[in-house]
Amino acid sequence: MTRTTHLILCALGALALATVASGAASETGITSSQVLIGGTTPLSGPASAYQSVAKGAAAYFRYIDAKGGVNKRKIKYVYKDDAYDPSKTADKTRELVQQDKVFAIFNSLGTEQNLATRAYLNAIKVPQLFVASGATTFGKDYKQYPWTIGYQPNYRAEGTIYGRYVAKTSPKARIGVLYQNDDYGKDLLAGLRNGLAKKAKLIVSKQSYDVEDPDVQSQVAKLKAAKVGTLMLFATPKFAIQSYVYAHKLGWKPTVYVNAVSSAANIMGLATAGTNKKQTEGSLSIVFLKDPTDAHWAKDPGVKLYRSIMKKYNGGNPNDVYAVYGMSVAHTFVAALKKAGKNPTRAGIMKAATSLNVTNDPFLLPGIAVKTSSTDHFPLDQAKLQRYHNGHWVSFGGLFRVR
Amino acid sequence: MRRGLGIAVWALTAVAVLALYLLAPHLVSDFHSRDLAQAGVFFIAIVGLNILTGYTGQISLGHGALMAVGGYTTAALAVHEHWRDVWTIPLAGIAAGVVGFLIGLPALRLSGIYLALATFAFAVAMPSLLKKFSGLTGGGQGLRLLEQAPLQVTGLSGTVTVFGHSTTQNHFLYYLTWGIGLVAFVIAWLIVRGRLGRTFRAVRDSEVAAASVGIDLARTKTLAFAISGVYAGVAGALFAIQAEIVNPLSFTFLLSILLLVGAVVGGLGSLPGMVVGAFFVEYVPDLSTHVSSKPGVPDFIYGAAIILVMILLPTGAGGLLRRVARPLTTRLYLRP
Repeated sequence: MTRTTHLILCALGALALATVASGAASETGITSSQVLIGGTTPLSGPASAYQSVAKGAAAYFRYIDAKGGVNKRKIKYVYKDDAYDPSKTADKTRELVQQDKVFAIFNSLGTEQNLATRAYLNAIKVPQLFVASGATTFGKDYKQYPWTIGYQPNYRAEGTIYGRYVAKTSPKARIGVLYQNDDYGKDLLAGLRNGLAKKAKLIVSKQSYDVEDPDVQSQVAKLKAAKVGTLMLFATPKFAIQSYVYAHKLGWKPTVYVNAVSSAANIMGLATAGTNKKQTEGSLSIVFLKDPTDAHWAKDPGVKLYRSIMKKYNGGNPNDVYAVYGMSVAHTFVAALKKAGKNPTRAGIMKAATSLNVTNDPFLLPGIAVKTSSTDHFPLDQAKLQRYHNGHWVSFGGLFRVR
Repeated sequence: MRRGLGIAVWALTAVAVLALYLLAPHLVSDFHSRDLAQAGVFFIAIVGLNILTGYTGQISLGHGALMAVGGYTTAALAVHEHWRDVWTIPLAGIAAGVVGFLIGLPALRLSGIYLALATFAFAVAMPSLLKKFSGLTGGGQGLRLLEQAPLQVTGLSGTVTVFGHSTTQNHFLYYLTWGIGLVAFVIAWLIVRGRLGRTFRAVRDSEVAAASVGIDLARTKTLAFAISGVYAGVAGALFAIQAEIVNPLSFTFLLSILLLVGAVVGGLGSLPGMVVGAFFVEYVPDLSTHVSSKPGVPDFIYGAAIILVMILLPTGAGGLLRRVARPLTTRLYLRP
């Protein structure tokens, strides 16, 4: 064997070793200096109010990156506009996976939107982390879809809380429900029935709308005509605001239970501005985040941190509680990424995300923990009730565990 | 001699088109070949719309709804009847053809802007119709092929094997869509250059004159609607196969308007121009979000782009193509 051949063989061997080594260390979307994650969010369309969720999360990641990232890796989070159209979600998610080659899909927003991509992501084993929807299926059906996990308290549980509270405090109520005609609205309605239990016949009228409907004027009129005194608004912000406005126009003032996805202080502010203080006064909802507009939290270190991040890292309107949600879910992702170790893999992050016990999330109400296990894919399952009083939400009672 | 040259030019064009067809997905990334496939869906629908609007002179603002008929036929057959998605394409075309024929019936009494309004009403009503029959269509949630009928989706695992040849799902969708697109194009070309095409053009140019030479107006118009419907249905089926989900939101009246924009930008009465129209509809909205994604800005840029095209190219891309090619074609067809 000549010297040259020997050298070439050695070089080839080294090259082969190097390839093997780098192959073992690298996972799609992860380099030594960066973790690339992505998701979809409605920057336009009927649910564009929710874009603050992605913006708040992005601001938190910039804050973490400025502090040096996780295991020296910066977190790069790209979010794409799907206009709340599920077929666009499917398209943009494919782009994130195939073109941008993200490590995981994170915080994509909407029930139908996440359902549209769940089977695809599970087929190719890409994590679908902390879905921004409370539909029960994202936590319940983990056996069939092991690469998917939700985040917020699920809608069924939320409905159950309202049902129990009404059954207990006003057992003669005439309940009317306005719900979005999809898994999200139906989950809340099923929860409400569950919570009312034997008193389910208190529901005297149920009206649904579809998300592409222009307004809910006729539904509100029908609810009023049914002499409803307790109105459940299981609707996204645009339609929730409309309901307050139309009820006001009709001179109708029911006690309103507004679901958490529309109870942000800024949404309630709009509803109040479109009507008057009396119309929104006394509305009820659940809460699991610290509301930055609540004077009670003005000196809280978590809210202070939140405000400083929003200001420094360009998170948008600091009075928007959806941004707090975004920060909380980002905080949880960081916790999962830390737990996944120095060389995170897709399987590793799923394992980490399903064995969390985060008790120090500064953006959640005190006492609420982010807890998951291999059989519990519901990260958040605690909440409090709150009442709208004098232009602000005031929480009352203790923490409910909602399952 | 000149005739030989003419044949040679045609043959060269055909070879070039075929080569481009085969090579295009390899010139872009795997994911972008899916974008190309989406442009192919618009291409097929716009070619069909052009037969109706460009050649027969009947304006339709309801083609998005015809695409919905095709898309839902595919999805419903896959989800409820467990058909393999690609085999539903012919039936989707036929279903939309029949519906196209039916909405062509008002065209016998209405013309011009009144017909446009009648078809527009069809497009506006479509999402509500789809929600009404929720047992079949899945209502507001639509039908999710991937989740409800994963076994019927071609390329679920990411690769597709055709005749022992393995390719990625995105490439498969590209070849499928543009393969059908090329065939559809040739058929359209054969239609418009033949006897039927002359009948269509006669109706477009003057209904009175056409009737006076013995053309059956009712038959011609409804036939144009039906043919155009078949194209829209096939496009809708391919849309459903690509998106793997159909939903009323995907087939709003905006889609109908988008198709008309594509046909006008491509140049009414020109078939090759439709490629440009399809790419305009597919890529310009996306490109305008790259300029700025602030609310309203992409729509503004898109609108400005349409106005600009209309000012600079009033006859669309097809008109430009004719002007550029004129020196060549006149020389070819001039007798010695």
